[in-house]
Amino acid sequence: MAEFNTTVKDQGDVSLVYLNGYLDAHTASVLESNFSELINQDKYKIVVNFKDLQYISSAGLGVFMAFIEKIRENKGDIKLASMNDKVFNIFDLLGFPLLYEIYKSEDEAVKKFSESFGEKT
Amino acid sequence: MKLNPARIKHNIKLQLFLLSAGILFVYKMFFYSDISFPLQLLNEIIVFFTVLFMLSYANDLFSEKKFTPMSLVMNLGILCAVIFLAVLFSDSLLPVLFGKISDTLKNPDFFFKIISFIYVLFFGAVVTYLFLIFKELFFLKQKKTGSIYFNTMAVFFLLASITTVLGFFPELSYVKNTFFIISIILIIINSIKISWIAFITKKEKLSLLLLSVIICALFFVNLFGSSDENSHYQVLSGFSASLGQFYKIIMIYGAVYFAVLFFTTLFHIPTAEAFDRKAQEVSSLQYFSKLITQVLDFNELTDTVTEIAMKVSSADAAWIAWKYERILKPIAHRSIGYLDAELISGYIFSKKLFSEQSSAYTESLKKFEEKSQLNEPYTSVIVAPIRTHNEIRGYLVLTKKGDFIFDEEDKSAIDTFSDYASVAIENASLLEESIEKERLEKELDVAREIQRKILPSKDPVYEKLSVSSVFIPAFEVGGDYYDFFEIDEDPGNTGTDKFGFVIADVSGKGISAAFIMAEVKGIFESLSKTIESPKEILIKANQILKRSLDRKNFVSAAYGLIDFKREVVSIARAGHCPLLLIRDGKVKNIRPKGIGLGLNFGSQFRLNLEEIELNLVENDMIVLYTDGITEAKNIDMEDFGETKFEQILLENSDKTVDEISNEVIKEITQFSRHNTQHDDITLVILKWKQKINLFTKNKEESNKLLFVQKDEK
Repeated sequence: MAEFNTTVKDQGDVSLVYLNGYLDAHTASVLESNFSELINQDKYKIVVNFKDLQYISSAGLGVFMAFIEKIRENKGDIKLASMNDKVFNIFDLLGFPLLYEIYKSEDEAVKKFSESFGEKT
Repeated sequence: MKLNPARIKHNIKLQLFLLSAGILFVYKMFFYSDISFPLQLLNEIIVFFTVLFMLSYANDLFSEKKFTPMSLVMNLGILCAVIFLAVLFSDSLLPVLFGKISDTLKNPDFFFKIISFIYVLFFGAVVTYLFLIFKELFFLKQKKTGSIYFNTMAVFFLLASITTVLGFFPELSYVKNTFFIISIILIIINSIKISWIAFITKKEKLSLLLLSVIICALFFVNLFGSSDENSHYQVLSGFSASLGQFYKIIMIYGAVYFAVLFFTTLFHIPTAEAFDRKAQEVSSLQYFSKLITQVLDFNELTDTVTEIAMKVSSADAAWIAWKYERILKPIAHRSIGYLDAELISGYIFSKKLFSEQSSAYTESLKKFEEKSQLNEPYTSVIVAPIRTHNEIRGYLVLTKKGDFIFDEEDKSAIDTFSDYASVAIENASLLEESIEKERLEKELDVAREIQRKILPSKDPVYEKLSVSSVFIPAFEVGGDYYDFFEIDEDPGNTGTDKFGFVIADVSGKGISAAFIMAEVKGIFESLSKTIESPKEILIKANQILKRSLDRKNFVSAAYGLIDFKREVVSIARAGHCPLLLIRDGKVKNIRPKGIGLGLNFGSQFRLNLEEIELNLVENDMIVLYTDGITEAKNIDMEDFGETKFEQILLENSDKTVDEISNEVIKEITQFSRHNTQHDDITLVILKWKQKINLFTKNKEESNKLLFVQKDEK
């Protein structure tokens, strides 16, 4: 079974989630509990850093879809950053760039939170 | 009423007894006189037989039941007390009774005899019963039924009793005295071996101390009351000298036995507690062994483990620290709160000793800094690993308060016990796993059936278009779907006007993916009949799916429509892999904008969905596929990839569609032969107006060639 783990850090009022390894049906629950935890703590500004993510399956994509509505309802967002080409292609094919803000670097994503409260539905 | 041999014997014994008693009664009433020796002898003989039959009959009652030593002792006590009362009150009551009879009745002698007969019969039975209880106690807990000691003693009792009849001849009195003394010696010898004391509980031993003193005293009183001054004894020995002697011997037996019993019990008291604990340990382990095969629910099992662990050791509290995703959490905690258990666990598992040990060990809590936060003053712990599949899954932890720490005994008991517990837990988890596995397999069978029924069973063939499709399902049903739709617009015209095709990939696996697939098929089947535009179909499909798709689920899809008359193909892509157009030895990616179905139910979906139209040129090849092809992995976990895929298509592009798909599948199978297939593989190849003679096809290579006439379906 492939390995997967996450690290969560705070940067001001933005939560940074670092993904490491393979995100699929077996490991998706780890990220799910991270998001649940953040929501419990009323932390709705989230940037997910994909730098060390090797692969994401449809189950992994589903995790984002499961939480995004609630997070945006609370005036927050999940912004995605630092994807490698392969992972970005997976997102791109499905049209995720039209639904989520995807940035090349984590800083850009974090900065966006302080710039505006853009709402996407 | 059961008429088996045992019952018959039983009845015979009763009848013999009654017969004998009857004869005795008659004899006593009419024939007996104490002047003649032969008559006395006859008297004793009849008495002997009566008592013998009574013994024999009563013995059966004993062999049917199982008695505990304490209940036997209580019975002895009660009977002894009855005799005691008789001894005590006979002097005052009997003369009064006899006096009254003398005064009021004409033939007092007759009534004296009847009353004494009944009295003797009653106390004879009591003494017989006493004798049998002693016998039962003797054989209790004896491993060898070596009854030689007891039987010898019984024989001498008999001899001592019978020979009292020789009292008729004073010179021979030494005979009866000898036997009497030998009997007493044998009593003492037999009483020393009281082996059942060890097996009663400490409480019972303590009450036995008291009881034995009381009963011993009673027997002594009864014994000293066996003189000719006592009315009770007078009646007995007057009736039959041997019975009186037997009675005396039994009283001596009682006194000696209970005196010895008192001292023996006294010396057992110090070790009583330890013995109890050992017994408890053994019975707990037996109980648990039985449970191993019965209790299969994990929670119930862990609760039982901590319950029995406490019984088996001198612990005050117990719990199991179980691994949940690499963190150890206390479960099944008993006599201790969750927080305390967690605190102590945290301390123990951080110590160096913990990582070094592979079997049960003890640890002191003296140096635990947060000791004061605990609710109780726990001072030591025992930790024992619990293994399943040879891997440590958790630890059994026991803790104790106070000054006495866990000793070697406790540790070794827990060591053994944790092995048992490991086996039980392993059993339970293996069973759970196999049930789960079976359930999954059944589910997958259903999913595969659904999938099989949904997909097209044959590839359609048209004059202007050749179609080849390959579908290789993954073991866990990956959710791929593809379909072909024949659209006849003008019923008057023969032939198909338009050809619709769809390819889709449902997120997720297994039976839930299969259900969504089925729904998607239904949607596309009906929409393709009424809507032409691929873009409109996908928009409508997305709307319909809003009701049934979970937030986590989505479907990537691509729909195309070939117009045979206009010779164009229009395509829309909702998040699916790009379609490939191979023309003039070049590959072109067809990737119109589009979001996957189920990802957005607002205006975004429609606003971002592009439809493109391409003119079809002779020999154009359109390829539809799912990511099962590009993401197939080799032994180094590298992807098959788009580049390799496109290359193979190009290299074989002038072959027939079936030949081309075979080539692709061959390459992929070879590439990924060291891995199990994780995703469905779907490949659809369409070729427009291919310039090739169908009849020179290599029959071996094209195994999917089925000719379907256009108006046949």
